Amino acid sequence: MATDLRISNISKIYPGCVANDNVSLQFKSGKIYALLGENGAGKSTLVKILSGVISPDNGEVFLNEKNLKLSSPLDAKKNKIGMVFQHFNLFETLSVFENLSIDATEDNKSLRVRINEILKKYNFNIELDVPVLNLSAGQKQKVEIIRCLLRSPKVLIMDEPTSVLTEQETEELFISLKKFCGEGILIIYITHKLKEVLSLCDEVAVMRKGKVVSVSHTQNERVETLANKMVGQKLAKIKKKINISKNKDEIFKVKHLNFYSDDPFETNLVNLNFSVKKGECLGIAGISGNGQNELFQILSGEIITPDTSIIFRNKEIAKLNPKQRREYLMAFSPEDRISQAAVPELKIYENVALNNFKSSNFFEKGLVNEKKIKEHSKKILSDFSVNTDNVELKSQFLSGGNLQKLILGRELITAPELLICYNPTWGLDVGAINYIHETLIKINDQEKSTILISTDTEELLKLSDRIAVIYKGKLSKIMPSEEVTPEKLGVLMGGGSID
Amino acid sequence: MSLDISFIGILIGSIMASSVPLILAASGELITERSGVLNLGVEGMMIIGAISGFALMVITDNLFIAILGSMLSGVIISLIFGFLTQSLLTNHVATGLALTIFGIGLSAMLGKNFVGIPGKEFPILFLSLRESIPFFGPILFGHSIVLYFAFALPFLTNYFLKKTKLGLVVRAVGDSPVSASNQGINVILVRYCCILYGGAMCGLAGAYLSLIYTPQWIENMTAGRGWIALALVVFATWSPIKVLIGALIFGGITILQLHMQAIGFRIPVQFLSALPYLMTIIVLVVISRDSRKIKLNTPTSLGRIFYKEK
Repeated sequence: MATDLRISNISKIYPGCVANDNVSLQFKSGKIYALLGENGAGKSTLVKILSGVISPDNGEVFLNEKNLKLSSPLDAKKNKIGMVFQHFNLFETLSVFENLSIDATEDNKSLRVRINEILKKYNFNIELDVPVLNLSAGQKQKVEIIRCLLRSPKVLIMDEPTSVLTEQETEELFISLKKFCGEGILIIYITHKLKEVLSLCDEVAVMRKGKVVSVSHTQNERVETLANKMVGQKLAKIKKKINISKNKDEIFKVKHLNFYSDDPFETNLVNLNFSVKKGECLGIAGISGNGQNELFQILSGEIITPDTSIIFRNKEIAKLNPKQRREYLMAFSPEDRISQAAVPELKIYENVALNNFKSSNFFEKGLVNEKKIKEHSKKILSDFSVNTDNVELKSQFLSGGNLQKLILGRELITAPELLICYNPTWGLDVGAINYIHETLIKINDQEKSTILISTDTEELLKLSDRIAVIYKGKLSKIMPSEEVTPEKLGVLMGGGSID
Repeated sequence: MSLDISFIGILIGSIMASSVPLILAASGELITERSGVLNLGVEGMMIIGAISGFALMVITDNLFIAILGSMLSGVIISLIFGFLTQSLLTNHVATGLALTIFGIGLSAMLGKNFVGIPGKEFPILFLSLRESIPFFGPILFGHSIVLYFAFALPFLTNYFLKKTKLGLVVRAVGDSPVSASNQGINVILVRYCCILYGGAMCGLAGAYLSLIYTPQWIENMTAGRGWIALALVVFATWSPIKVLIGALIFGGITILQLHMQAIGFRIPVQFLSALPYLMTIIVLVVISRDSRKIKLNTPTSLGRIFYKEK
């Protein structure tokens, strides 16, 4: 039976922000719909309303002309609306089977049979009795999809599903989604990745600032047209940088980096060796959870590993802590902006003072020199075009993009010789990403070096001079970026080997 | 004093009896914590259970009502905690501490008129078997029904958590309340139930002290057992069977060191009194070294406030 989902005049207002402003859309089964928009455009709010997690202030949802009352996730489930969230809704310490059985109405035996049928039908390869925390992101997503399929959904909503996947996994996902679509499931695909919209979806609705600004067939669209609709202004294209640093000195050299952990959430690192030249950007690709966290922490000095040698500007720094490393002009931008890079409850200027560098005179005789810090913070805010000049603002009120600019600004104002960043544009919108990328390129232009640990292959190809891939704690050989293609990276990131 | 076989049997029997309140309170708290709620009010709930059980016994002269009443009073006082932490979203740690202080104060006030009243003898099961079988008799028989229940409880708890649907739901809520809520599980309700169950078990643990173990009411008679129970749960890494082992070690060394003091070992008394705490922690740390298992058993959301998006 054909499915027809209609959203009518949905509004949702949060204090100080209109998340959804009179949104009306119509979806029919047999097609894959894209919901495209930047971060904060209101996509997530809309799908949370559709899945019953939050209720709208206004408006209605109709499924096959039946007015749905979606006041809890249970209502969505009952009405056969399945949802795969961007941040997985799985129980990490429970086994795959337990995760799937928790809301099942049948007994375990017949459930297992049904799960195995689904595994076979869609060629999913997942062990049912291991804890979910042992699975890769792609496998976790499959568990989520299976959970939806078990309820034979009419509508399947995917929220930014490829942000954690490799190229291969993404392709597999697309094949599955097309299969589901062929079986009559209506698919709504939320993303901010333009290429995915064009290669997968039939129709695309673009959202901006809570409103639907356009609905069109994807065959009539190109990357540029969609990008302009999404951002609302013309985007300047960043040029890919020319590799200029072939015969430069090595400024940073890591030897015998080994890390062993008992913690099942951590990845062991096995004999990593690499070096960075002056003015160069070394990219380290990989799917998250393959040791990037540990690598970043070791490079920044949060974890000290024995027997590792780290030479920076001709000095051995392997035993130094992060503060001492900063004094040698290293700078760090961790992945988790909220909990690692900045303290959200503190004001902007307090966060700026946190990585107190020697030359700054921020602290005198143990007291805080507020005036100096504030002046300094104002300079960062204006130099890095953060959209506020109020240094008293609590950092938690900055958007992800602005917070990242603040952090980069804080790190760069010391003119470091080496910046190590981990997923600097994670979760940011196109405008902010562009700005961060420009900044990173500028650093290299000034003969300073960067190490870019990222899960975004496009970003790596754009910014890096040389790229290596980390997989299960091992580093591939380091390749000049002009020899690297997204496909090659995808193979290596998935644990395959090239040539 | 002769260390013959029958004496050892009696000794083991008394060790078992002394660990009952720990097993009960810790098993109850374990379920509460597995759902992600950290209730530091164990001591308070136990002492309320102790006084209400004893008072009801004196008033009604019915042990059954007394036991039931003690559990009910544990439920009621834990309901305060539940309401504050789950409905009003207060901090678990502060609320739990307040509950303990409140419980100790309230019990002292309620118990004023019950000091010095002799308790009633609690029925003991299989008394004839206890006398007739050497060694195993005093270990296996001649105990109150509550003791048998307490020793079955860790196994029942383990079965509940690992094998039943409800146990799975409790673990899921403790792992990720947000995911559970998105799956349509009523997180607040589950947590309320676990808190109330924990309250009931703590109340029973208190009643065991005032009705069975030392049948009388003394102010502050739980004497820190609630805190030991809390520590047992953590050091046993949320595993019911390890809670049982820990409680037995603690009870065992408490009794043994009393005997050692009586015999007059040349070891400072203070050290002997500290021994149970020390040994319990050491043993539990040693048997729970597997960091992988710890990760899998630890309720990830423990002590964190959960509120539903609207």
